[in-house]
Amino acid sequence: MMNNAVGSNLTIYPISEGAVSIEFGNIIDEGISQQINRFNLLLSEKSFAGMYQTVPAYTSLTIFYHPAVTIKSGLPGNYCFDKVCNYLRQLNSEVSPASTIPEGELVYIPVYYGGKTGPDLDFVATYHQITTEEVIRLHSSAVYKVYMMGFIPGFAYLGGLNDLLETPRKTTPVKVPAGSVGIAGKQTGVYPLAVPGGWQIIGQSPVELFNAAKEQPALLKAGDRVKFEAISLNDFENYRRR
Amino acid sequence: MKIRIIKPGLLTTIQDMGRVNHLAQAVPFSGAMDKLSARIANLAVGNDTGHATIEFTQSGAAFVTESDMLLAFSGDGAWLRTSETRLPADRPIFVPSGTELYLENNKLGNCSYLAVAGGWDVPEVLGSRSTYITANFGDFNGRCLRENDELPNTELSTSTSRSLLTQLKGDSIRYPNWSIARELFLPADRKTIRVMKGREFDWFDAAAGIFLESYTISHNSNRMGYHLQGPQITRALPDELLSTAVCPGTIQVTNNGDLIMLMADCQTTGGYPRIAQVAAVDLPLCAQLKPGDAIRFKEISWKTAEKLYIQQQHDLYKLALAIARKYD
Repeated sequence: MMNNAVGSNLTIYPISEGAVSIEFGNIIDEGISQQINRFNLLLSEKSFAGMYQTVPAYTSLTIFYHPAVTIKSGLPGNYCFDKVCNYLRQLNSEVSPASTIPEGELVYIPVYYGGKTGPDLDFVATYHQITTEEVIRLHSSAVYKVYMMGFIPGFAYLGGLNDLLETPRKTTPVKVPAGSVGIAGKQTGVYPLAVPGGWQIIGQSPVELFNAAKEQPALLKAGDRVKFEAISLNDFENYRRR
Repeated sequence: MKIRIIKPGLLTTIQDMGRVNHLAQAVPFSGAMDKLSARIANLAVGNDTGHATIEFTQSGAAFVTESDMLLAFSGDGAWLRTSETRLPADRPIFVPSGTELYLENNKLGNCSYLAVAGGWDVPEVLGSRSTYITANFGDFNGRCLRENDELPNTELSTSTSRSLLTQLKGDSIRYPNWSIARELFLPADRKTIRVMKGREFDWFDAAAGIFLESYTISHNSNRMGYHLQGPQITRALPDELLSTAVCPGTIQVTNNGDLIMLMADCQTTGGYPRIAQVAAVDLPLCAQLKPGDAIRFKEISWKTAEKLYIQQQHDLYKLALAIARKYD
């Protein structure tokens, strides 16, 4: 029920004069995420006057537009908010709930676990009373889903961490290098930039998660799937040299 | 045209209207904190809205012109002056080569903008020239400006800029007798911030209390956001908000009940409940707040906020046309 946003009753609210969010539910759920991605895809093909960006999140899709442009559009309504709501509801009525969306891209991310670049691997293993090999096996055998991007450029919120690896975050954040792979609570992720963070760092990836010089600067996007691959220190260093 | 920084001041960066096309990759908006002042500085030298400006924080910076220049200064963080005289804001100023200029303390506000005819020539990163220090986006590897940094302009792009320069060019500092009336774009009371109810407004006990109380900008405030000191807000609903899109002007409530007002460099998503949203037309007022300043919030409807914003955009557009007509 609560995630049945597909229908005439889209819940839409403004977050600024130039942005509205559509609410699709209130729990982290694969089905809700698919609805959001489906609607986002449709909107990218059929945008409205003044629209310039969309931001998918766990349970919402936010649409940004330039009010001075949108107000001049022929959409029904006296205010941009009404015009945009009318447009989105009309578009939503065209979505077939059964329509499939392309499966998110599967992205392999090599990780060198442990060592100097994974200083908290031992802590995570000790915390769960398992071996470090078991931590690596559990972390690199799952297929994760990118629910949303946020926090810092190129950072992906991943779902699908094995319950056995849930580990509390550090009490004091420390600066971690770009590529660090961490665990915090039920979450796991890769830091695209060197920033202070409180996650338990179990390894490092030599892959660039964000490059501002590229047209598509972020390696990952909402809807993608991620699999980590354990690599040796030698491979890690070779990869870096390339 | 070129300047060289003599003293960088507190926090001096390049800013334009922001990096708006990569929000989905979690790239923040950035851009000028006070977009109104940045736009007015650009308008005064005949530039387009999107040209890069230099954003100064409070006073203390100094620079020297290394060629003849057409500049404009706007904002409330400082006054632009030579060793002898204070220069007028919000209008084009011709400054001959070799002039040292200083930023003198202006108690009224926090940030100021320096525009040059043609705009400052720094490379675009992801569609914007704005500095974003966290990710090193922008010229000078995304850092704030330092002593001896040199900033050239790009070629003059409008006939307004060219005729302004022709008319004002001379051996000494020269400016016309008109200026842009920036105060007409701002309310008389600059410490009452108009806000709309946020999505999670009803999650709090007596949330309307935020319209009655006074809040102080804490020292823990920067381009990402301001921590506000005041009565704490208690939660009526224990719900947890899942991270969702936020933007400059969003007022969040932390788990301790403290308010945070998000500003230009804020993250693209946030997980704290949103009690209110600052009206876009009052964001320039927020940009001019300093630690220690006390503010109040006044509720307006979302429809009123939208109307005010569109009206302001329209007025700025008409202003640009009027200046162009005067000099074409």
